Amino acid sequence: MQSHQNEKAIITVSNLHKKFGDFVAVTDVSFEVKKGEIFGILGPNGAGKTTTLEIIETLQKQTSGNVIVDGIDTLKHPWDVKRTIGVQLQSAGFYPELTLVDILQLFAALYDVEVSPMKLLEEVELQDKAKSYVNKLSGGQRQRFSIATTLVNTPKIIFLDEPTTGLDPQARIHLWDMIKKINQKGVTIVLTTHYLEEAEELCERVAIMDKGKIVALDSPEALIKKLLKTGFKKHIEVKQADLEDVFIQLTGRHLHEA
Amino acid sequence: MKRKPNQFRAFLAITYYAFKAQTRNKSTFFFGFLFPLVFISIFGLIGNANPKVTIGIPSSSNMQNQVIQNVKQSPAITTVVSDNQTLLSQIKQGKIDGLLNVTSNQGANTSYATTLTTSASNPQNAAVVQLLVKGIVDQSNVEISGITTPQISFTITKITGRQSRYIDFALPGMIGFSLLSTAIFGVVFGLIFLKKQLVIKRMFATPMLPLTFLFGQGMSRLIIAIFQTILILVVGVYVFHFYLPHGFETFMDLMILSVFGLVAFLGFGYFMAGLANDENSANPMINLVTLPQFLLSGTFFPTSSLPSWVQPIATNLPLSYFNEAVRKITTEGGSLHDTIPYLLGLSVWGILMYVLAAKTFKWE
Ligand SMILES: Nc1ncnc2c1ncn2[C@@H]1O[C@H](COP(=O)(O)OP(=O)(O)OP(=O)(O)O)[C@@H](O)[C@H]1O
Ligand SMILES: [Mg+2]
Repeated sequence: MQSHQNEKAIITVSNLHKKFGDFVAVTDVSFEVKKGEIFGILGPNGAGKTTTLEIIETLQKQTSGNVIVDGIDTLKHPWDVKRTIGVQLQSAGFYPELTLVDILQLFAALYDVEVSPMKLLEEVELQDKAKSYVNKLSGGQRQRFSIATTLVNTPKIIFLDEPTTGLDPQARIHLWDMIKKINQKGVTIVLTTHYLEEAEELCERVAIMDKGKIVALDSPEALIKKLLKTGFKKHIEVKQADLEDVFIQLTGRHLHEA
Repeated sequence: MKRKPNQFRAFLAITYYAFKAQTRNKSTFFFGFLFPLVFISIFGLIGNANPKVTIGIPSSSNMQNQVIQNVKQSPAITTVVSDNQTLLSQIKQGKIDGLLNVTSNQGANTSYATTLTTSASNPQNAAVVQLLVKGIVDQSNVEISGITTPQISFTITKITGRQSRYIDFALPGMIGFSLLSTAIFGVVFGLIFLKKQLVIKRMFATPMLPLTFLFGQGMSRLIIAIFQTILILVVGVYVFHFYLPHGFETFMDLMILSVFGLVAFLGFGYFMAGLANDENSANPMINLVTLPQFLLSGTFFPTSSLPSWVQPIATNLPLSYFNEAVRKITTEGGSLHDTIPYLLGLSVWGILMYVLAAKTFKWE
C-alpha cells in the first residue's frame, strides 16, 4: 500500500461536537484525512460514526466545530462540498419503480453532469442488471450499486458508511477489491466499519471511536505495535495481537447497545 | 466553484423520473384511474334507467279492454299480469306501484268500472300511477263517447332541452374525487415512503434544493392529474354521453380547473406528508380530510340535499368549491369567469395549507 502521509489533508475536522437535545452524540472530534488515502472510522454501535460522517457530508449541522473539505468550509458552502464528494448512506434506498439506469440518470441531472450509466455499472460489475429494479438486487449488488451512485459526479472523496455490513465473506472481499480499485484512481475514501479485518485490509489509517470520542487514531500496524508495547499478550499465540485486540482493549468487552 | 446548482435541470429530471415511477405504481393506477372509472361506469348506468311505474293486472281481466290496452301501451308504465292474490301481496311489499281492476258493469256492454289500488309504501309512485291511469281513463271515455273535437283541448309544448341525467351530476364530482385522491393518497404515502426509505436523504447529498424536489414531485402529480381528467372526460363523453356544453372549449376550461384544483389540493398533501412520520400517523389525518369531503362536497349527491346546519360547512370545503366550479362549466355551460368566486375560495384553502406545510414540514 502506497503511503499518503506526506500528502495534504483533504478533510480537516476540528473540535466537532454534536448534541441531540441533551444527548451528546459526538464530542470534541478532530482528525485529518490525507489526499488519496483510505481512512477508516471504527467503533461500536452508537459510537457516533454516522453522525460524524453526515456532518462532513453536510447532511447534518454540527453543534460546534469546523469541517473543511477540499479547502471548502462545509457550513459556508455546502453546495460546493456536495459537488466535490460522493455519499453512500448507511441504509439509503432509491425509487423502487426506477431501473438502475434511470436512477443514475436522475443523479446525473441532480449533479448537472453527463454520465454514461453503463460505464458506471461496469465499474461495479452490474452491467447485466442495467434494467433491473433496486429491490430485485442482492445485498451485495445493492451496495455495489450504491457505490456506483457515489461516482456519478466524479468526486474527489467518497464516503462509505458500513459498505460491507450484512454481506457474506465473499461479497465482502469482492467489495474490498472494488473499493481499492476506486482508490487507485485517486479518489480519497472515508469509510466506517465494524469489521476489524476490513480496516486492516483496506485502511491506511483508522480512527477508533467510542461514546462520541476518538480514542485512538493511527495506522493499524502502529496501533497494534503500541498495544504490544504495553506488555499485552494474546492468550493463544498464533499472532501476537491483531487489531481486534486493540479495539476490544479500547472500547471494552461489554455490549454497547442498551 | 461557487456555481449555483442548476436547479432547472434537477427539477425536470425529478418531474420526469417521479412521473415514470408513478406510472409503474399500483396505487396511482388504483386511486387515480380505476376508482373513478368504476364510479362513472356505475353512475352512467344509473343515469340510463328510465323512471317507470309498474302496474299489476289480474290475469282474470279481459285483456282486450280499451283501458287495459291503453295502459299497456303507455311508455311510462310497465305492466305485470298475475293472479289477484299475488298482485295484492306485491303491492303491499312495494314491488308494484298499482293494481288495476277493470270489471264490466252489469248489463251495459260498453260500460266498465275501473278500480285502482295504490300502495302507501311509495307515495311518490302512487301519485304518478294515479295521474297516469286517470288520464288514460279520461282519454278512453272521450274515445268511447265518439268525441273527436273535445270542448276543452289540451296541448303540451315541449321546449327542447337536455334531459338531465345522474352522470351529468356525478362526472364533475368524479374529477374532483380523483384529483383529491391523487393529491392526498398519492402524495402523502408517496412522500412518506421516500422519507422512510431515505430516498430523499440520499438525494439531499447532491446539490439539490429541497424545494426543487417538492416542485418536481408536484409537477409529476400534475401530469398524472391531467391524464386522469382527460380519461374521465373521454370515457364520460364517448361511453356515457356526458354533455360538454361548448365542446372543446368546455374541455379546455375543465383542464385549467383541474390544474388549479390539483395545485390547491397538493397543499393538503404536502402538509400531511410533512407532518406524518409514517403511514400509521398519516392514516387518521388522511381520513379526517378526505372522508368528510367525499361525503359533503357534492361528489355523490348535491350539497343542497344535506341538512341545513351542515350546509355552511359543506359549501365551504375545498372540494365543494372545486365541484361547484366544474358544474358551473358543465351543467350550467358557464365560462371560467363564472368560476372566479369558487376559485378564490379554493385559493384561500390552498394558500393556508402551503403556509402550514412550510411551517411544519419535516424531512426525516
Ligand atoms: N437524529 C437523532 N436524534 C437523536 N439521537 C440520535 C440521532 N441520530 C443519532 N443519534 C444518537 O447518536 C448516537 C450516535 O449515533 P450514530 O448513528 O452516529 O452511531 P454509529 O456509530 O453510526 O452507530 P452504528 O454503528 O450503529 O451505525 C447514538 O446513540 C444515536 O442514538
Ligand atoms: Mg452508523
